Amino acid sequence: MMLLEHMGKAELAARGLPVPRGIVATSHDAAYEAAVALGGRVVVKAQIPVGGRGKAGGILRVPNPSAASMAAGSLLYKKLLGHQVRSVLVEERLNIVHELFLGLAVEPGSGRYLALFSDQGGINIEEVAAQTPARVRRLWLDPLQGLPADAARQLAAGLVEEELLPELEKILAGLYDAFRERDAIIAEINPLALLADGRLVAADCRIEVDDDALYRQPQWQTYKQSLLDERERRAQEIGVSYVALDGDVGLIASGAGLGMASLDMLRLAGLEPANFLDTGGGINRELMRRAVELTLYPGGVRGELVNLYGGINPMVEAALGIVDALRAMPRRKPLVVKLLGNRQEEAWAILEAEGVPVVKVVQTEEAAGKLAELLAGVGR
Amino acid sequence: MILLDQNTRGIVQGVTGRVGSVQTKWMVEYGSSLVAGVTPGKGGQTVHGLPVYDTVQETVERHGANASVIFVPAPAAKAAVQMALEVGLKLVVVITEHVPVHDSLAMKRMAQEHGAWLLGPNCPGLLTPSVGKLGIMPGNLFRPGPVGVVGRSATLTYEVAGNLSAAGLGQSTAVGVGGDMVTGSRFLDVLRLFEADPQTEAVALVGEIGGTAEEEAARFIKEMTKPVVALIAGRNAPVEKKLGHAGAIIRGGQGTPQSKVAALAAAGVAVADSPAEVARLVRERLRRD
Repeated sequence: MMLLEHMGKAELAARGLPVPRGIVATSHDAAYEAAVALGGRVVVKAQIPVGGRGKAGGILRVPNPSAASMAAGSLLYKKLLGHQVRSVLVEERLNIVHELFLGLAVEPGSGRYLALFSDQGGINIEEVAAQTPARVRRLWLDPLQGLPADAARQLAAGLVEEELLPELEKILAGLYDAFRERDAIIAEINPLALLADGRLVAADCRIEVDDDALYRQPQWQTYKQSLLDERERRAQEIGVSYVALDGDVGLIASGAGLGMASLDMLRLAGLEPANFLDTGGGINRELMRRAVELTLYPGGVRGELVNLYGGINPMVEAALGIVDALRAMPRRKPLVVKLLGNRQEEAWAILEAEGVPVVKVVQTEEAAGKLAELLAGVGR
Repeated sequence: MILLDQNTRGIVQGVTGRVGSVQTKWMVEYGSSLVAGVTPGKGGQTVHGLPVYDTVQETVERHGANASVIFVPAPAAKAAVQMALEVGLKLVVVITEHVPVHDSLAMKRMAQEHGAWLLGPNCPGLLTPSVGKLGIMPGNLFRPGPVGVVGRSATLTYEVAGNLSAAGLGQSTAVGVGGDMVTGSRFLDVLRLFEADPQTEAVALVGEIGGTAEEEAARFIKEMTKPVVALIAGRNAPVEKKLGHAGAIIRGGQGTPQSKVAALAAAGVAVADSPAEVARLVRERLRRD
């Protein structure tokens, strides 16, 4: 889950990092007032949880409060990069002479954090990293050890003026604290702006927070909810993950990898998935009933493949939940179950007694083919 | 066989929980050599014939435990791993899903410091056919034989193992390293063991999109003498949402299905389109050798 820019900056400011003066506004009137308070010349920035805003027209520089109000009006409640803009950040304009990049990320291979620094910050940082890797310094940090005292020097010495290093050290320390304390996977300041008066300011900030850590970051649970659409919210309630796709066939799988392989198999069988629900390892009868409800009931869905292994999941409970969901449907749609693992024979019997076609072999392609056959029989 | 053999003396942490208890029953039924269970505060009970203790320390002292499988809730996982590592267990398997990434990082580093094997979190554990299992893999899908299996996604790993078994190709050991971003062990680590294992004649690698573990594995596979067949799930999956620049810089163009298939193919790996094709390709490679 990515924090909005102003939320990330609040984390930085709370740790003493320099951020621009700014005010969050949710109406054009509020944007006007904010611009007045900030001296008139401001930048109005759409608050959406995704990168690439600037290039998509989500950052507008304006000369006065009236223009700020119009800019806010043109951004608010519009869709930008797939996200509805619900607020804008109105900020003082900065007199930037140079843009730096400072980032921290989890590096899965080594089990360490990776700190990144470049003197070529800004929106083209990825191209800089690809074309001139030497301009992006890397420093691996041991999570068990903490931040070394000379980390900023190791990252930046030779790339920036010597007198900036003490300030950079403070900024890195604050970013590091925010990264750890807030369960961030990525925390980056880009650009870290060098101003004409010699100050360093975090002009933009992106913090990606680990969804699995939200139980200990309760301050963001409401925000997380606001990012979900209706189906995703229902999926979250029952503890599964749900992805909407463009086709007309439902898919439930007990695991993301199996689900992705099932998507491939459905496509090979000429079917286009409408959704993909990963049950994870917490199946019970009610979860399964609601999972089928979520994926098979919607109007545009013609049929469904359920692909399960137990594993950790109880197959008999799963079968009972599927039957519950089907019995509650006024007009049943074709549904094929492939299910193997613990108490599989009992589970098969429950499904077959209800007339559900069961595939009892390990080849998912057979199940996908069976569903395609049934759907062809029903007609489009 | 690797990691789990006749000398394994396993314990179950979180043995009295709903999932831990059921899975303990199935591990015992499969013939796994489990010696005890641990749930702090529940010492003195018995679960499916296993004595329950408050600490891992007691299971080492009284039963010579040397491996653990963990079923505790996510917020307690890190402490459970630490408890196992600090008394010297050399194989720790974390089944628990939804462990925070920073906790997984800490576990991984602690295991490295202790010179222990950590599998997971969010993994199915491992299974050596006809010897035993530590974890949740459904035993009925596996047969003893020459193919090492290693996967990220639990259930897709079962599907591949099941297809191998159906084709008459048994497994030396099947290992699930876990589906999370940060896991204690990665493909590379397990491939090293299979390369050195006399029973293993070929390896099936069950990969998927995201992360760079497959590309990293490819660099080692170039040096391997045994044939490797891979599956990369998710070639039709929707593209990952763009996150921060830092992530993109670290990946440096890796992580896509194309990048994984290209890296593996360049290392001499036969890349299959489906689990059934994995079995066909493994059979071909074994004939050729």
